[in-house]
Amino acid sequence: MPKHIVRLLGLVTVIAIVVFSAKHFLTPDSFYQYGHFRGNAVAEIASKVPKLDGSASCEQCHKAVYAEWTAGIHRKATRNNAIQGVVYKSGPGCEVCHTGPAGNHPSKEAMPLSIEDRVTTITHKHMDHPANVPSRKLLLSPEDMRSVCLNCHEKLEARPIFQRQIEVASHSGEEFCTKCHNPHSPRIIYASLPQVRRGDPQAGKAVAAVCSGCHGEAGMSTSPTFPNLAGQHADFLVDALKSFKSGVRKNDMMSPMAAGLNEADIRNVAAYFSRFSCSVTGGDKAKALLGKAKAANCAACHSAGGLYGSGAPGVSGIPTWPNLAGQNAEYLSNTLKSFQDGSRNHPVMTSIAKNLSDADIDNLSAYYASMKCK
Amino acid sequence: MTTQDKKFEEQEVALSRRDFLGLLGKGAVCAGALVGAGSAVALSETQGSKHAFQQNDEQYAEAVNDPPKIPDYNWNDHQWAMGVDTTRCIGCLRCMEACKMENSVQMDANHYRTWVERYVYLEGSNTAIVDTQTDPKNIENTGSETKFRFDNRYRNAKVDKAFFVAKLCNQCEHPSCVQVCPTGATFKSKDGPVLIDTTYCIGCQYCVQACPYGARSFNQSRGTAEKCNWCYHRITKGLNPVCVEVCPTGSRIFGDRNDPESPISLFIRNNHVQVLKPEMGNAPNVFYIGLDKEVV
Repeated sequence: MPKHIVRLLGLVTVIAIVVFSAKHFLTPDSFYQYGHFRGNAVAEIASKVPKLDGSASCEQCHKAVYAEWTAGIHRKATRNNAIQGVVYKSGPGCEVCHTGPAGNHPSKEAMPLSIEDRVTTITHKHMDHPANVPSRKLLLSPEDMRSVCLNCHEKLEARPIFQRQIEVASHSGEEFCTKCHNPHSPRIIYASLPQVRRGDPQAGKAVAAVCSGCHGEAGMSTSPTFPNLAGQHADFLVDALKSFKSGVRKNDMMSPMAAGLNEADIRNVAAYFSRFSCSVTGGDKAKALLGKAKAANCAACHSAGGLYGSGAPGVSGIPTWPNLAGQNAEYLSNTLKSFQDGSRNHPVMTSIAKNLSDADIDNLSAYYASMKCK
Repeated sequence: MTTQDKKFEEQEVALSRRDFLGLLGKGAVCAGALVGAGSAVALSETQGSKHAFQQNDEQYAEAVNDPPKIPDYNWNDHQWAMGVDTTRCIGCLRCMEACKMENSVQMDANHYRTWVERYVYLEGSNTAIVDTQTDPKNIENTGSETKFRFDNRYRNAKVDKAFFVAKLCNQCEHPSCVQVCPTGATFKSKDGPVLIDTTYCIGCQYCVQACPYGARSFNQSRGTAEKCNWCYHRITKGLNPVCVEVCPTGSRIFGDRNDPESPISLFIRNNHVQVLKPEMGNAPNVFYIGLDKEVV
């Protein structure tokens, strides 16, 4: 055999030996175990630790919030909801909104800390992801919460109709969702609303002396253009005085009055007037009948049943929203007109008032003026 | 022999160009038929048996008799499948965000294992406008690359119909990605999901191109392919995949087809289900209801 052929064969043999021994030593034992892949990889992939633990794991420590959620609409949203033979799982759990894997949650031993420490610990622990996952806050600020709520509840054309959706501009404007809704149990249950610090009506009496010139000794005003305060929600009166004080609302009479009051005065005087019982001021009966038909729009907020039920019309179910029943017709119509011309502004009321004609305003005012206020 | 005879003989002997091409054509048809028949046999074999891609009988027996050592779990007992009820999807993208958290997927809008598409037909139009969270307007709307939300761009438009469709890896019975992988880094597990062995993936991205559903992407930070595996680490522990777990409307349904009362078995039995791109022959394991003609 010629020399060069021998050399060539030798070279080929050496290469073959190197290649096959390399393949023998470098192929992991499990490679052809189940097929053309590494058999051990299956168990390795399965051994990863789950990060999201499910709502039940949150319950261990956050019992109160968990109970709130369990009782609320978010839990019930789709629970036991058998559609076309399939039982769908329950509604949004903890980790849907508090996007952050509970798997990284601090252990129970690490928990007995002061509340501030705990907050930072939680948020920091939750940043403890692999480097490519940015930090997430577990505890949501009101701004965060708004965007979290809108993830599911903003009205989008493609969203199916069973989903509760809002037009942000007309539903809440710039207000945060949490002003009215508890995100853990968002359906408004009036009895469970947090109680604001109550004022002292006795102390309020002294302050009220200045008010009585226009608003009457017992909250029944001296002129139909001034509002009655008797029986009005204290929380609403506090809100109103505060917005006069801060300049959000402006009125030649009220702004300087409110400017002279401190926080305690405001609470006290509000408590003082809210205790009086109001009496019906009356309104044109024919107009009131027409107004009743139009009042369905108002009832969502300005009736005791609120958004989901019927109740005494004109008596608002939420203490920060005003009662309308028994208010002076002229004051009511002036107020609606001031929303129309922009001299008073409110995210909800401005847009509602702009859709009312002058006749509507007259009729509605007459209707609410003639309603029983308690 | 006359000159004419000679010419005649030459014509007899030498193959004319026309005849040669004709024969070539016939030969090609026969060869093609043979190959076709052969591959049809091969295909029917793989479809008929439970064998995975390139798995011989011995390896199949091994998979049955000596399953991977996963605590309290035997892959012979399960056949996982997923359902997507598009009529219940609200496009909140919680599935996508939770998936990224659970599986450490890169957090920007362009890397994802599961995603949601919005189909919108404007009035008078017969074609859908499709967008996902990667749309620049949607990214701008959230103000952050790491938050995902659909914007409200159709608020004032005249919309004829619109809906969301959630998508993810279909964990096909005949996965194209597994077929093209040069290293055996991706494979079909016996209980359903197509998995990636990241220690063996060389990042060549053939699989990304091969997938007819666009379900694969490339994880730049890890240098390997990225895909949904139905949270294999969760389902082997008796948990749901995380997208199913967080879906607030129950638009995703998951379960074991071996259990006739599992949610997915009920879903498939009680509904008229469809799969995406059935013409590709991949035989997906994600079943949809409420798909529209333009959804692919």
